[in-house]
Amino acid sequence: MDVILQNLMIGFQTAIEPINLMWVTLGGILGTIIGMLPGLGPATGVAVLLPLTYKMGPTGALITMAGVYYGAMYGGSRSSILINTPGDGAAIAATFDGYPMAMKGRAEAALAISGIASFIGGMISTILMIFSATSVAKFALKFGPAEYFLLMLLALAMTSSMNKGNVIRGFISMFIGLMIAMIGLDPQSGLNRFTFGSLELQSGIDFLTVIIGIYALGEVFKCFRDIREGKKKMQTKFGKIWITKEDWRRSWLPILRSTPLGFLIGALPGAGATIASLMAYNNEKQISKNPEEFGKGDIVGLAAPEAANNAASVGALIPMLTLGIPGSGTTAVLMGALLMLGLQPGPLLFQNNPQIAWGLIASMVVGNIILAFVNIPMAGALVRVLAIPPKVLYPIILGLAFIGTYAISNSVSDLYILIIFGVIGFFMEKVKIPSSPMLLGVIVGNTMEISFRQALVLSDGNWGVFVGSPIAVILVIATVISILLPSLKTFIKKKKTVEA
Amino acid sequence: MNYNLLAGLISTIIGIIYTIMSITLPNATIGNPIEPKIFPMLLGVGMTICGIILTIMEGRKKTVTKKTKNDQGLSHDTKLIIYTCIVTLAYALLFEPIGYVLSTIAFMSAMLFALNGKEKWKTNIIVSLSFSIGIYFLFLKLLSIPLPMMPFIQI
Repeated sequence: MDVILQNLMIGFQTAIEPINLMWVTLGGILGTIIGMLPGLGPATGVAVLLPLTYKMGPTGALITMAGVYYGAMYGGSRSSILINTPGDGAAIAATFDGYPMAMKGRAEAALAISGIASFIGGMISTILMIFSATSVAKFALKFGPAEYFLLMLLALAMTSSMNKGNVIRGFISMFIGLMIAMIGLDPQSGLNRFTFGSLELQSGIDFLTVIIGIYALGEVFKCFRDIREGKKKMQTKFGKIWITKEDWRRSWLPILRSTPLGFLIGALPGAGATIASLMAYNNEKQISKNPEEFGKGDIVGLAAPEAANNAASVGALIPMLTLGIPGSGTTAVLMGALLMLGLQPGPLLFQNNPQIAWGLIASMVVGNIILAFVNIPMAGALVRVLAIPPKVLYPIILGLAFIGTYAISNSVSDLYILIIFGVIGFFMEKVKIPSSPMLLGVIVGNTMEISFRQALVLSDGNWGVFVGSPIAVILVIATVISILLPSLKTFIKKKKTVEA
Repeated sequence: MNYNLLAGLISTIIGIIYTIMSITLPNATIGNPIEPKIFPMLLGVGMTICGIILTIMEGRKKTVTKKTKNDQGLSHDTKLIIYTCIVTLAYALLFEPIGYVLSTIAFMSAMLFALNGKEKWKTNIIVSLSFSIGIYFLFLKLLSIPLPMMPFIQI
């Protein structure tokens, strides 16, 4: 315990250095702006703003990224409330009651409660994370290569089968990602795999290029669909952005209830902030004495999902930081940022680089406080960005995506790969294949193969090693269940409808 | 045309090609000779299976609901995406030969004139110029990442 506090103190000392405070504020503001753009969320924010951090050094870069991550989440709800257009999936629930509130002339209260709920949700779950991260990391250190491989398999299977359309599409996406990860020189045997004789492909396809291609280019392509829509009317003049005592009396308990729920769902791979916020909304609607008010501008209907959303985003960092296994597209992008800085997330991160691990956690606390300051009193100024037509902002996003990709390794061939992945991302969306399993595959593919091979070498080629320990058996069973569960659910539903 | 059916077919083909490519990889000279092949092979087989399942699923659907919307040529957003792809390709081609600033001005104006319209040419030009020059100096001075320079004048 003392060690945790000690490390945390060091983390805080780093985080509150003036230069780092400046980075987190800057990252937060830029993240908020990107998050506000319809269709673009935290994943795009981090992907597009990564190049800013190339030369910053690990601490500064992580702190900036924490700011972007939080900022984009705040930004997403701004556009939900004011123009009824969620920035990303996690902000959908904020449109249900947030937009009606703004319509009723309570935009100020809506913006304020969304900021307050996000702040409380983020804060409490960061504290929960501080206390759970080390124990998860310690437990994970007991894993051998076989267990580690199975754990990654479970995370991938859960993310793939969470796909709403159908499980098969999720798995196709996962396989594409893993296949891409295999491209390049095999580090163990020195063999060139799937390089088609190309020298550029020998070093593999950089996951950052894939990330920027999918999340910057691909998302902008998707946005082209709605670009013709006329400008939406939006309130630009605001009174004091704050809530009344009555608002607070009604919201505090839902906020506190939704936070642990969001945190737990976020920590599970696959589920994430979108599901967490929708669940929190439905929960509160069920408990509420007057559920008919929900959807008509009830402040509880905005406070609860906002708290759950931020709590889930923090919870989602646990598997990524402690196990090195991201559970969502957004955390995969953040993990990409860590890898780019030469840091391998996982149980050893807490052992070997405690100052980085705890520095990141501390900067999340600091970032959350700063973002609350930026977003509540200054919300009126920031949301003016929404008045800038997206038609001007999308080319800028594209421009940033290009320069970011080029700056990874100063190579033009990466730019072609970027375009290819932008197009792939767009087509995948068109045939309803989700992109996050693919990104997870690209990110964990190499580690996964290494664990797989190590396990087989250690067991002299005996495949029984994958069911050789109690932990392994549990992981296998959990994987099978997570694959079969969605089909089982639809099967039961069909049976019910047939009977009825 | 049913895109979803096509997705299933393409996935199957990718899976099969990947499997064949994995099997025909040369043997490793260090350690177990077939070790680098096993994992990719599993991926190829998995992809093939998923592709076949998706094809069958979509194939069945097609017989049930045959009423698909008649596509009237390319939609506006598809045209816009093809345009963007061509512009970005040109951008990548010109990136090094004519330098960052010029190629970016060209790229940004090409995108802005298409998206934002010709009537707003003032905004378009201001945004293109300030973005290109701003980013160039941001990268050069603040981040000390050199970008391709213009020929002759070397900026």
